[in-house]
Amino acid sequence: MSEFEAYRGLFVAESRENHENMVKNLLILEKGSDQNAIDEIFRSIHTLKGASASMGFADMERLCHAMEDIFQLIRSGTAGMTQELGNLLLACSDVLEQMIDDVEGGGDTSSLSPDKQVGALKQWLEDLKGKPEPTKGKGKQHKKEQASPAATPAGKPTDTPDTGDIPAYTINITVANECLMKDVRAMIAIGNLEALGTIVSINPSKEAIDAGEFDGSLVLQIASEAGEEALQTAAMGTEIAKVEIKPVVKQERIASEDTSAAKKQAATSDKSREIKNLRVDITQLDHIMNLVEDLVINRGRLKQIAEQHRIKEMNEAIGMVDRSVSDLQNLMMIIRMIPLNHIFNRLPRVVRDVAQYDSKEVEFVMEGGETELDRSVMDGLNDPLLHLIRNAVNHGIESPEVREAAGKPRKGFVRLAAHRDRDNVIIELIDDGAGVNVEKVKKKAVEKGLITQETADTLTSDQAVELLFQPGFSTADKISDISGRGVGLDVVRRSIESLKGTIRVETTPGKGSRFELLLPPTMAIVDVMIVRINGKRLAIPISSIVEVANFKRDTTHHIGNGEAILLRDEVLQIFWLNEMIGTSSVCDVLIVIQYQKRKCCIPVDIVEGQQEVVVKPLSSFIGNTRGVSGVTILGDGDVVPVLDVNTMV
Amino acid sequence: MGKILIVDDTLFMRTLLKNILFSGGHTIAGEAGDGEEAVAKYKELKPDLVTMDVVMPKMNGIEALKGIKALDPNARVVMCTAVGQEQMVKLAIKTGAKGYIVKPFQAPKVLEEVKNVLAS
Repeated sequence: MSEFEAYRGLFVAESRENHENMVKNLLILEKGSDQNAIDEIFRSIHTLKGASASMGFADMERLCHAMEDIFQLIRSGTAGMTQELGNLLLACSDVLEQMIDDVEGGGDTSSLSPDKQVGALKQWLEDLKGKPEPTKGKGKQHKKEQASPAATPAGKPTDTPDTGDIPAYTINITVANECLMKDVRAMIAIGNLEALGTIVSINPSKEAIDAGEFDGSLVLQIASEAGEEALQTAAMGTEIAKVEIKPVVKQERIASEDTSAAKKQAATSDKSREIKNLRVDITQLDHIMNLVEDLVINRGRLKQIAEQHRIKEMNEAIGMVDRSVSDLQNLMMIIRMIPLNHIFNRLPRVVRDVAQYDSKEVEFVMEGGETELDRSVMDGLNDPLLHLIRNAVNHGIESPEVREAAGKPRKGFVRLAAHRDRDNVIIELIDDGAGVNVEKVKKKAVEKGLITQETADTLTSDQAVELLFQPGFSTADKISDISGRGVGLDVVRRSIESLKGTIRVETTPGKGSRFELLLPPTMAIVDVMIVRINGKRLAIPISSIVEVANFKRDTTHHIGNGEAILLRDEVLQIFWLNEMIGTSSVCDVLIVIQYQKRKCCIPVDIVEGQQEVVVKPLSSFIGNTRGVSGVTILGDGDVVPVLDVNTMV
Repeated sequence: MGKILIVDDTLFMRTLLKNILFSGGHTIAGEAGDGEEAVAKYKELKPDLVTMDVVMPKMNGIEALKGIKALDPNARVVMCTAVGQEQMVKLAIKTGAKGYIVKPFQAPKVLEEVKNVLAS
C-alpha cells in the first residue's frame, strides 16, 4: 500500500471526476436510452475499477467490477435500464463516493463493505438470466467489442504440409500457468511466428483460440527460413513457459505471402497537442493567494512612503510595480474561480431522490452552471443550496394528484439559474408549486411564540414570509428525512450572509416561489471606506454604505434608550461605536449603512478615503468579535478592523 | 531500453506506468490522454514502443492502434487491459498489437513484456 501513497491525491481527484461523470450519465439514462451515456458510464466504471485495483482497494474494485458486469450487458443491448436498476446503480455510486471520501481521508475503503450492493447486483444478474432475452441483438450492439473471426488470413489447419524448399518445423508452445489471458498469449506467439514464415497447420485452430477454446498449449507447423533460433525467440515471450522446436523432414515449397501491410496514411491532424491544463493542489493555490495579499498590502505601504518622501524615480517604479501587482491580483482571482457546475452537477440527483421519496413528479432545469465563483464562496454555498433545492421539491411542489386538482400539469417544475450581474452573482431557484401559505406561516409563528396574534394580524404578506427566516421556524408538520432535521431557512440565511451574500424570497400562493441569492464572486478583497473615530481607524464595506451626510449633535432625538435622527424623512437609529473605539467628541459625519431593508447610521469623525483591502479573518482565540468581520492592514502598516454590518443592523 | 509513449485517459494510470517504466531504465517519449492524441503523438515523437489503454474517450485504444499501424506497420504497441477484456485484446492483437499488460500493473510483468516486445 505504502508505495501508492504518492498517487493517493491523483487517485481521489480522477476518481471523483469519473464518479461524477457516471452519476450524471446515469441520470441521463433514466430519461431514455442513450448510447453515448452508456459508453460514458462504462468507461468511468472501467477506469474506477482499474485505478482502485492498482491502489489495492479490493472492496472498491469488487464493487466496480460488479457494476461493470451489468453495464457490459446494457451496452450490448442484452439488458435494458429500469428505474429499479437505476436506483441500485445510484446506491452503488453512493458507496463508491463514500469510498473515495475514505481514501481522501487516508483510509483504504476497507471500512466500507460493498457486500450489500455487490450482492444486489449479482442477484439482479441472476434474475436476468432467469428471464428470456428478448432484446438481444436489437441493434444497440457495440461494434468494437465484437471480434470478427474472419480476420484470419493464414493458418488453416492442413493435414499435408506442403512447404516446398523452405524448411518446416513443428513447434510446441506452452503458456505459463499463472498467465491471466492464455489465449491472448497464444495469439501473440502465433502472430510473431507468422512474421517469420508461413504457418501450415495449427492445433487448436486460430478460430478456436479466438473463441477461447485454449487449454494452455498448442502445436503448429511452420515453413520458415528464419532458422530455429529466430523461431524460438519469436515464440518465446512474456508468460510463455516452454517452446519446443523440431524440424519437419518433408519439405515443399509454399508461396510466401506478401506480409507487408498496405501503406495507408491515416488522415490524422498534424497538430501536436501540448499540455494545456495542469492540476494544482488547492493548498498551494491558497498559499499563492496569501502571498498576493501580502504583496497588495506592501504595495500600499510603498506607495505611502513614496508619497511622503516625494521621490520621483521611486514613484515611477512603484507605478510599474503597482500595475503588475494589480494584474497578478486579478489573475489570481480568476484562477480561484470555479464554475457553479461544480456543485450544480450534484443537484439533479438530489431532486430525483427527493421527488421519488415524496412520490412527486418534478422536471428540474439548470441554467448558467458555467457562471464562476471564488472557491471560498463555492465551499459555503453547497449546503444552503442543497437545502433550498430539497425545500423546493419537498415543501414547494405538490403531489401530482393535488396539482391536477388545481388545474396544473402533473409534473412540477423547478428551475435553478445563475448569472453574473455586474459585481454580483445571482442564483435563482424558481418552483411552480404551492407557494408559501401566509396564513399558515402566521399561525405557526404565533404558536411558536415568535410573534403575538396582534402583530400577526398587522403583518403584510412580505413581512410574514420573512418569518420563515426566523430561527427555529419550520412549516413542515413533521420532520422528514429529506428537508433536514430542524434546520430551517434561518441557517440558510446565516450561511449566505457569512458569504457576504443576501437571500430573498418572493412567493405567490398557488403559483410558486422564487428564491434569489445574491453573492459576491469573491470574498477575499473588499472595497471599503476608511473612517476615523477618536483617532482610531475603521473600515466599512462600501457595499453596505448608502449615504454619507453631515451630522449635527443637536438634531438627534432620544427614543427609549437609543438615539435616532430624522434624515430625508426617515427615522434612523444611531449606532455609537463607543464600546468598540472609545468616545469621540467630534463626530461631524454620519455614515448611513443598510442591511437588507433596514438602515442605521454611524457617526464618525472624518472620512479618510476609499480603497480595496484584503480582509484577513480573526483567529478564534480572540473572544467576542461581534461587529467585526476581520482586519486589514493598511499601507502604513496600521491594522484596521473591518465592520461587519450584517451583525450590527 | 526504449523511448516509450504512454497512452491512457487517466493521469493516475499514466503516472503509475511512467514510474514503473522509469524504474526499468526506459525513457518516456510522451503521454497521450486519448486515441486521437496518441496517433498525433506517435507521428510526432516516433517512439520505440507505445503502451495503449483500451477504453478511452474520443477514440478508443483499438482505433488508435489502427491509426498508428497505418502510420507505421512496424509500430510496437502494448495494450493495457483488464481481466474480462479478452475479446478486446484479441482484436487488438489481430490488429497488430505486439503484447499486452494486465491491470493492476505488476512492475516486473510490465517490464518483462516491454523488454520482450522491444526485442521483437
